Amino acid sequence: MLQYLVILLDDTSTSFCHYSVNKKERNLISLDHLRKGIRFGMVENLMIQFVYPDYPLPQEYLDVIDTIDHSNIKPMAALDNDTDIVVIDDWECDATKLKDSVLVLRTNWKQFYENHSKLKGLLNVVQRLNVVITDLERMNDCDRENYKAVLEAMCKDIEALYVDGKSPQFNLLTDRMMLTAMNNCNAGDTTITLAPNGKFYTCPAFYYEDESDTVGDLDSGLDIKNKQLYKLNYAPICRKCDAWQCHRCTWLNRKTTLEVNTPSHEQCVAAHLERNASRELMLSLRSKGTFLPDKEEIKELTYLDPFEIATRWK
Amino acid sequence: MTRKLVGQVTPEEKNEILALFERRNGLNELAKVLTADNAELYEKLVKDMGETGTKFQGWWDTMAQKYNWESSPNGNWEINFDTCEIFLNAE
Amino acid sequence: MEKVKESSQAWQSGVAKNITFIVTKDCQLACKYCYLVGKNEKEQMSWETAKAAINYILSHEDDFREESVIWDFIGGEPFMEIDLIDKICDYLKTEMFRLGHHWFNSYRFSFSTNGINYHTPKVQEFIKKNHTHLSVGITIDGTERKHDLNRIYKQSNPDGSEHGSYQDVVRNIPLWLEQFPGASTKVTISSADIPFIKESVLHLYSLGIHEVNINCVFEDVWQEGDDRLFEDQLMQLADAIIDGGYYTDYACSFFSENIGKPLDPVLENQNWCGAGKMLAVDAAGMFYPCTRFAGYSLREKKPIIIGNVRDGIDKNKLRPFLTLDRTTQSPQKCLDCEVASGCAWCQGENYDAAATSTIYQRATAICLMHKARVRANNYYWNRLYRKLELEGQREEFEKNKPSEVSSVNC
Repeated sequence: MLQYLVILLDDTSTSFCHYSVNKKERNLISLDHLRKGIRFGMVENLMIQFVYPDYPLPQEYLDVIDTIDHSNIKPMAALDNDTDIVVIDDWECDATKLKDSVLVLRTNWKQFYENHSKLKGLLNVVQRLNVVITDLERMNDCDRENYKAVLEAMCKDIEALYVDGKSPQFNLLTDRMMLTAMNNCNAGDTTITLAPNGKFYTCPAFYYEDESDTVGDLDSGLDIKNKQLYKLNYAPICRKCDAWQCHRCTWLNRKTTLEVNTPSHEQCVAAHLERNASRELMLSLRSKGTFLPDKEEIKELTYLDPFEIATRWK
Repeated sequence: MTRKLVGQVTPEEKNEILALFERRNGLNELAKVLTADNAELYEKLVKDMGETGTKFQGWWDTMAQKYNWESSPNGNWEINFDTCEIFLNAE
Repeated sequence: MEKVKESSQAWQSGVAKNITFIVTKDCQLACKYCYLVGKNEKEQMSWETAKAAINYILSHEDDFREESVIWDFIGGEPFMEIDLIDKICDYLKTEMFRLGHHWFNSYRFSFSTNGINYHTPKVQEFIKKNHTHLSVGITIDGTERKHDLNRIYKQSNPDGSEHGSYQDVVRNIPLWLEQFPGASTKVTISSADIPFIKESVLHLYSLGIHEVNINCVFEDVWQEGDDRLFEDQLMQLADAIIDGGYYTDYACSFFSENIGKPLDPVLENQNWCGAGKMLAVDAAGMFYPCTRFAGYSLREKKPIIIGNVRDGIDKNKLRPFLTLDRTTQSPQKCLDCEVASGCAWCQGENYDAAATSTIYQRATAICLMHKARVRANNYYWNRLYRKLELEGQREEFEKNKPSEVSSVNC
């Protein structure tokens, strides 16, 4: 069931996920589309998330946006008191400006390995940190080993924060411990995106990849064909999986396997490395005292890719 | 020529002779392609044909002894790969 | 005792890898029901491409662990490229042996041909050379009028009328059956063929073909009322087979005891189609999960390319195929269907007909035809069992009948 509407306010609105923004020219959504989009959100009872570009919006836009309860996703350059989620692509940001924020840090594998030691500092400041690997699909064997090692090292950092009485929220390591079921992006199922052209897309990535790949528009409404394929039950690999923190990125799925419901080997392995590190973190924290007593232990697995158990040829 | 059911082997035993049968056929058809110009491979083929032939005959000898199948002076045994049944073809 | 002939299982069914060389996209014929929308005279596979494909496949033995292999050659009409095929097969035999590849002990060369060139010296020489490893199917659709209704030459007769291929095929049937006594033929049924089903099957039996595999095309070609006509034809055929006693020595795939039952969503959730478990390579050296995903087979969608002979196979592209199951791709009406077993689908047609670019949407154009088949099939078995009962053969038949097996069609 649809619950969220993402509205891209401009073609250059920041990316907050795996995709890159390949449009360089500013192209603000029209006020008419914005009003209609908000109206659509109201009548469909959707929570609206506005995604901002790095320049200030005209006051009339802010006035329209303010006509509905919403949350704001903004790039660092547009950070203000009205920001709910701030996105950075740069490890050299000023952490003091990020106090108590919900931060999305977009990084590629290389930068991640080079800068991961800065994460502890960020976790000390922010309310929540989401790291998004922007070249996740290019993970090779070397990345796999490096990622495993970094996550193990970070477990110690997180553990230290807990010992200090803090409750850090870090998507790669703490989410899995807190969850009791799959909690993924759910684009096309619970979330839909409105682009500046007045058309709906499964998520922003689909808009930037191919503008003609729409799932409806403001005039004729939503038209999501094969909608069931965005649901967990229709994902043969994922429905057997317990890497509940996995992004399960619909766009990456389609890019790598040509199907929205099928994750790549790389996505599965990355998610399982996170899951397994979370397991170790949870065990370690529990060895120090009571920790999340109502949550089940994360089981040990013999595989990193649930495809191995999902394949019908096994 | 008469054909008579004289016994049955296990599926595992059938698989052994099936593999040898397939290999022997493969070697025979490869022999139509390979020439002595390709000395190394040709030599390998000839050696393999000899070994496979020996194993093939060895299987029949072993099984005949194990199951004590009925035989005939000018007859020959035959296996049905689908049913694992052994038949005696005799004049 | 009397026996009821069953359709035979494909060689090493379920344990063989099927690797298809699309050696040409050309054919002498322009069959009206042919799903190959992109046939042409330009795309013949080169020896270099074929060799590169073989080298890739044989050098990645760990990725191809199936016990056996079927090297399949299709077109267009594969025997139009007999020189290339002969070279490929010689190379395959030599390389499988040289490398000590496990497939040397268990392989076949398989052909689906229109039969027109079957008698030619080159094809015959090839057959003699490889006879113990060959599986050759000649497609003949039945009587001359049924066959020539669809299977016509690209070039018309001088007077502009259609030039049917029946006479050029039927002359080769005796030679084919002499060389492959247990051979079966494949018959395809489209809307216009329905009135000729009975006469065609009986005609094929009269030619000495003991096994006739028939299927309705998966494409949405059916007209209103076709299901009733189809059921009527199959019931007439059932009567003819039973009254004529053909059931002891001849098989027709339309009649099977396994079809027409509900399917368990958990225990009987396997995919019907083998796409993804197979591999096809075309003249450009592109790999596909099945030939039906090559561009020349698709009306509406882009080809699904899973790699090429230089870079190998992108395993991520195979994941959807290898995890696809029946319930995930079927609409609710199929899940609720009380006669679901035996209802087939083609993954390629599913993809081509889907509302989005997915293999996870089952096409159901065949629904009414399957239900008609089930009704006729019920009639056939009820009549046959009664006949066996009255002749005192039923108990013996029940005791000896082959165990039920689920087959994978393609």
